[in-house]
Amino acid sequence: MDERLKKEWESCVKCGLCRSVCPVFKELRQEPFVARGHISLLSEFIKGNFDFDSEKSKDYLYKCLLCTTCVEACPNDSGTDTIVEIARRRIVELHGLPLYKKVMAKILLNRNLMDLSALSANLLSVFLFNKNTNTSRQSNSLKIKLPFVDKDRLLPPLAPKTFYHKYESYGKNAKISIFPGCLINYTYVKIGDAFINILHKLNISYLIEKRASCCGAPIYFSGNFDDAKILAKRNIDLFYNQDIDYLVVLEPTCASMMKFDYPKLFMYFDDEEYIKKATEFAEKIIDPVKYLYDNTDIKDRLKDTGLTVTYHDPCHLKRTQKVKNEPRDLIKHAAKFKEMKEADRCCGNGGTFSIDYRDLSLKIASRKIDNILNSKAQVLVTGCSACIMQLSEALHIAGHDEIKTLHTLELIDKSLGG
Amino acid sequence: MKFDYLKDLLGNRFLEEKIDRLQYAYDATQKMYMPDCVVLPKNTEEVSKIVKFANENKIPVVARGCASGFSGGALNIDGGIALSMELMNNIIEIDLDNLIATVEPGVVNYDLQVKLKPFGLFFPPDPSSWKFSSIGGNIAENAGGPKAVKYGVVKDWVLGLEVVLADGSIINVGSKNVKDVAGYNLTQLFVGSEGTLGIITKALLKLHPIAQGSQTLQATFYDMSLAAKTVSDIIKNKIIPSSLEFVDHQAILTVEDALKANLPTDADAILIIEVEGSKFQIKEDVEKIVQICTENGAKVKIAHSIEEEESIWLARRSISPTLKRIADGKLNEDIVVPRSKIAEMIKKTQEIAKKYNVLIVNFGHAGDGNIHTNIMYNTKDKDEEKRAYQAMDEVFDECLKLGGSISGEHGIGITKQDYLERQVGSRTIQLYKQIKYAFDPNNILNPHKMKL
Ligand code: SF4
Ligand code: SF4
Repeated sequence: MDERLKKEWESCVKCGLCRSVCPVFKELRQEPFVARGHISLLSEFIKGNFDFDSEKSKDYLYKCLLCTTCVEACPNDSGTDTIVEIARRRIVELHGLPLYKKVMAKILLNRNLMDLSALSANLLSVFLFNKNTNTSRQSNSLKIKLPFVDKDRLLPPLAPKTFYHKYESYGKNAKISIFPGCLINYTYVKIGDAFINILHKLNISYLIEKRASCCGAPIYFSGNFDDAKILAKRNIDLFYNQDIDYLVVLEPTCASMMKFDYPKLFMYFDDEEYIKKATEFAEKIIDPVKYLYDNTDIKDRLKDTGLTVTYHDPCHLKRTQKVKNEPRDLIKHAAKFKEMKEADRCCGNGGTFSIDYRDLSLKIASRKIDNILNSKAQVLVTGCSACIMQLSEALHIAGHDEIKTLHTLELIDKSLGG
Repeated sequence: MKFDYLKDLLGNRFLEEKIDRLQYAYDATQKMYMPDCVVLPKNTEEVSKIVKFANENKIPVVARGCASGFSGGALNIDGGIALSMELMNNIIEIDLDNLIATVEPGVVNYDLQVKLKPFGLFFPPDPSSWKFSSIGGNIAENAGGPKAVKYGVVKDWVLGLEVVLADGSIINVGSKNVKDVAGYNLTQLFVGSEGTLGIITKALLKLHPIAQGSQTLQATFYDMSLAAKTVSDIIKNKIIPSSLEFVDHQAILTVEDALKANLPTDADAILIIEVEGSKFQIKEDVEKIVQICTENGAKVKIAHSIEEEESIWLARRSISPTLKRIADGKLNEDIVVPRSKIAEMIKKTQEIAKKYNVLIVNFGHAGDGNIHTNIMYNTKDKDEEKRAYQAMDEVFDECLKLGGSISGEHGIGITKQDYLERQVGSRTIQLYKQIKYAFDPNNILNPHKMKL
């Protein structure tokens, strides 16, 4: 393991500050469910004093959202997300993966298999970062019983045509390539539509690289480093030599994975060549809203939609990519903006966390509802489709279907008009 | 088995797997001592049964709240039972007629403040760890904080306690009455007793109305002794700020490195001064303070918004946790001297630092003379480590010579117990032992702390 990675946990001074910010700890209130606890276990493991053989290891280490709230707050930059992932890898070695995560890895490793069946794709949307649909829009409640998924859970409607099937590269001398992410590719294609519309309105050429693989985040977050490495290498090899300024990654979690976790993944394997490649590759990765904000005159083109809007900060946009003011500034040009309290508090989705610990996940989500309501906004805007799923379900459960959810790109598209 | 009784009593709130014991083996001293088991009681009766069982079987019991202490008070030096109060975290009552809160020990200081705020009240002790330290821990260590200069420390705000004694019996000491002279003042004996005399299971806390308003100033000095003089001048002018903190040059550098908060890295010291009261009072005090600071050669910045105020305080609160950036080892002391002696003491620490060739970072509560002296060393450099300890020894000596104390708010625990006698004398230590014996004849409550 690369020495640089060890700093992630050796920097912790056990001050306990993370106990005041962790959304999971807020609910469970015991040391095994907070960054400091996770870090202690991993560092004792690395020192050879401890191993994750207890059955409880899974409960303790998988009940983390990887939201990086603690990382942001930690005065010593301890990297709890990375620490938890490494601990999970050891847990997978000792205890194996649950069946559904094995199936997930098999499917994600193979795009053809992914595309093949509607069922697998529908299943996938659950496996990836997600939750139900916005019931205020067209929704499918779950009619067929799927393994591992709660019966009462609402699933997002499957798009009739995936993003990759729908769109081709466009224009000349394209300097950006679009990476939709699985969730947008299979389910929230309308968010991808919005981005494509915007690019056309701005007359920007783009590439769509259909050979791209899943970024590997759901696999990596489960502790399955070996399969994640295969996907990471495939994507780096594919994009590394392309002559583009940016790889615009529509999903913040995928962007975060490719930008920050790829280098760490290769540090774990001491793979010098790919540490270097991944670090260089990382510089090209950008969030679509930030891309538009920094590189186009989008701000001047926006027209008031007449909507009253509040904004939720996705963890993997605000905390890891540090994109926080750009969406707000654009929203202010497109709508009446109302800042909610604790806008950056994690929605509780956490990818497979929301499958494994559904009640806890919804409880964390419900903590946001009052703040959303108090903002008096009609529309909740955010920059991540997983957050949209999670928060629309929480709003639905709380009986507030009147509050619509939109992706920042959808609002921008609306605001640009016909 | 040894702990079957506890297992039956507590079910899944009894933990003995290594994975659990490990996570209750440390505190902010970063030292590790494995307990033999962990228990998470939910009420006083359970605590009583646990302690009674431990006493009968002569097993050590160490209470812990959030494990954010700096003196090792929560460590199971000799194994035994780690008694975590994490789940006893109810705010039982906020008595608005008498301005008293009744809380369980696991309540986090900040969570109490949040509950009190809508009533226009607060609990004044505000240790830097207020967002993640428990009231129980605050009481057991008699914690202070920036507001101590005006409001005093925890002992000034505890009216009564419910305590489980070593034999498991439950007693109530003190009462809701501000005046109460019946019997010995045992409440004050338990405050700061570091878990050695009994287990606090409930506390009656005095509350105070939140001031009408407050304002924070940051004064930057290029000469430490002028900063110290400013502190004396402010007090001499009969202004009692609600906080009067200082940060020395090294501390400024460290925080700036971590936060990139635009701090004046060329300064010798920063004073952070907060005044509160009515609008009129604030205006008057601020004007006076600005004048005093300027006369002493300082540049003054006044916070005009909550954000500006927060950013000033964030810098101060971040020092302690960011020190690791300088070196991985630190001797984290919190000496106190009479506030008129601060400049002298800081100068002494600098001389000592030079003499032993170690780095010393000072910051703390100038208003009450409480200085956090951090002697930094590299843990891999054994010689430097030795010099750091020698320096600490001398810091304590100098501090006592100036009429100070070796700990203002962290407590003695294990980290300072070897120096306690130097301050209080052997007869007093003997008396401590007699008191301890009267409360806990089997020495099961937090043994090996405070020389007990
Ligand atoms: S992870 Fe950071 S905040 Fe948490 S205990 Fe360690 S140093 Fe403190
Ligand atoms: S990543 Fe999020 S859930 Fe996990 S320990 Fe940190 S704050 Fe808690």
